[in-house]
Amino acid sequence: MSVANTAPKIGLETIIELRDATREYRGHAGTVRALDSISLTVARGEWLAIMGPSGSGKSTLVNLLGCLDRADAGSVRIAGKDVHTLSRKELDQFRAETVGFIFQQFHLIPYLSALENIMLAQYFHSMTDRTEAMAALERVGLGDRAGHLPSELSGGEQQRVCIARALINQPPVLLADEPTGNLDAANQEIVTGLLRSLNQLGHTILMVTHDPEMAQMADRIIELHHGHIVAEREVLLTPRLS
Amino acid sequence: MRPGLSLPMLLRRSLLHRRSRTLAELLSLTVSAAVATALLTLYASLDLKLHHQFRAFGANIVITSQNPGQALPLDALAIASQAAGPDSRVVPFAYAIAQMQNGSSIVVAGTDLTGVRAMNSWWQVSHWPQPKEGVPLQVLTGARAEKALGAKRFSLTYNGKTVPLQTVGTVRSGDAEDSRIYLPLEAFVSWTGVTPTTLEVQAAGNTQQIQAVLTRLRQALPSSDVQAVHQLIEAEANIVSRTRSLMLSSLVLISLTVAICVLATLTASVLERRRDFAVMKALGATQHHVRLLFLLEAIVLAMAGLLGGYVLGCGIAYLIGEWNFHTAIFPLWRIVPQVALLNLMVAVLAAAIPLRILSHLEPATLLRGE
Repeated sequence: MSVANTAPKIGLETIIELRDATREYRGHAGTVRALDSISLTVARGEWLAIMGPSGSGKSTLVNLLGCLDRADAGSVRIAGKDVHTLSRKELDQFRAETVGFIFQQFHLIPYLSALENIMLAQYFHSMTDRTEAMAALERVGLGDRAGHLPSELSGGEQQRVCIARALINQPPVLLADEPTGNLDAANQEIVTGLLRSLNQLGHTILMVTHDPEMAQMADRIIELHHGHIVAEREVLLTPRLS
Repeated sequence: MRPGLSLPMLLRRSLLHRRSRTLAELLSLTVSAAVATALLTLYASLDLKLHHQFRAFGANIVITSQNPGQALPLDALAIASQAAGPDSRVVPFAYAIAQMQNGSSIVVAGTDLTGVRAMNSWWQVSHWPQPKEGVPLQVLTGARAEKALGAKRFSLTYNGKTVPLQTVGTVRSGDAEDSRIYLPLEAFVSWTGVTPTTLEVQAAGNTQQIQAVLTRLRQALPSSDVQAVHQLIEAEANIVSRTRSLMLSSLVLISLTVAICVLATLTASVLERRRDFAVMKALGATQHHVRLLFLLEAIVLAMAGLLGGYVLGCGIAYLIGEWNFHTAIFPLWRIVPQVALLNLMVAVLAAAIPLRILSHLEPATLLRGE
């Protein structure tokens, strides 16, 4: 069942391509190989679920895919660019343009309102546009909560703001780390619905999850163990089609 | 339409959101600016105030004839006053040894009592004689001399000429003055016929300025012996120099202490908000963005601390001046840039370690779920 080199959906453009990507961490106890020659391709518009136990290399893979870290060996190409060739500043800019992050713990800035949290992503990307940010907030059903601070929003609402923030710069890749991990069933449903519609609109979603049911929403599931992809399977009948 | 997000707005929101930390940092930087203002104000005024204090200890230059006991030229006082300059004070002294009624000798000095009073404000005098004509002549008597005389009204004889005198005030200096009788110079000269043998000069200014006065006096009175009271001048120079060193050392130590306090607060602030900064990095903020945001917070607080600290420091300097020098020390605008620079240095120095922490933030580690 081990498939180390997976192929994109036939006929779809490849947006992410890892070739023998390796990442090692040097510590007092010696060198730990968090990712060991991983090769992976993701098609534009694909929804990929990444599963695996703690310490399997999920976070390291997310770091590489989110352009927050670089591989020690091998190559990582995202949206046609080899991120290894980018300078630190170029990588920051590339990240702002290419990847939208959705976090398990939302990570909204506590002293900014819901609308301003969305505008913060615009601020670091290029320039702020209040109208556009408001439209993004309305798309996630929170138009009436624009002026509220994160502390005045429920978990589900905060996650929806986080999704709106991730989308505001229209990045081709959405990186979701346990997006429903902190939500109750009702809010899980809302967030799952949002992700589903975003995927249907063509966004590529890379989702780290421990939840097998949530993973079933994806087009494809890969499992990591000790820095290797040990399993990969396509979800033939996804709930979104039902 | 309401404005979009801007750097000043982010700074304001961030500072207001964590009020207690902001207040702690602001307080530290206000104290830093206040201490710097007070010490720099005192430092700048120190020369003037300490020289003013030293002037109370009497003359720092003494002019006598080159032949001991011989009278100075009659125009010596006018020449010396002109050479010494308007900020200096010149007081003439003429001495004679008179006989008391019991036959004992006593030193009598004729002088300008108003000038002596101004020059020797450290003398303990019960009452200064008023410069008025009359009989008996009013005199200032040393404490030991008064005891020897045994009465307020008495007569003294010099060269067979006896004059009635009356003690109206007693002087205690702990020195030779305690054994003398002081009377106005004019009355002294008309009684004894002795003219001044000594001019005491109280020159204003620092050591260099006093040396300049000394040179002018030597040039103006070449036939006289013009000597500096070296102990006083050197003591003054030493005290001024040591006090300045002490103040500068205190300023450096206090600034370092404040920097450590601010460092602790800023470090705690970075650690508390590292997830916020990690989010900013994940959203595309560069190292420069994040570091600038944090550094600007420290700089804004340093400048806000400068405002309050300057006012507070001026107040402290004023009170120290009142308590120690009995004169007001007023605010000096020219020290504002120095205080601002010092406060900025404290803030930037204190921000150095937190900035290093910020540079090594790992957004992926800080923001991951699990």
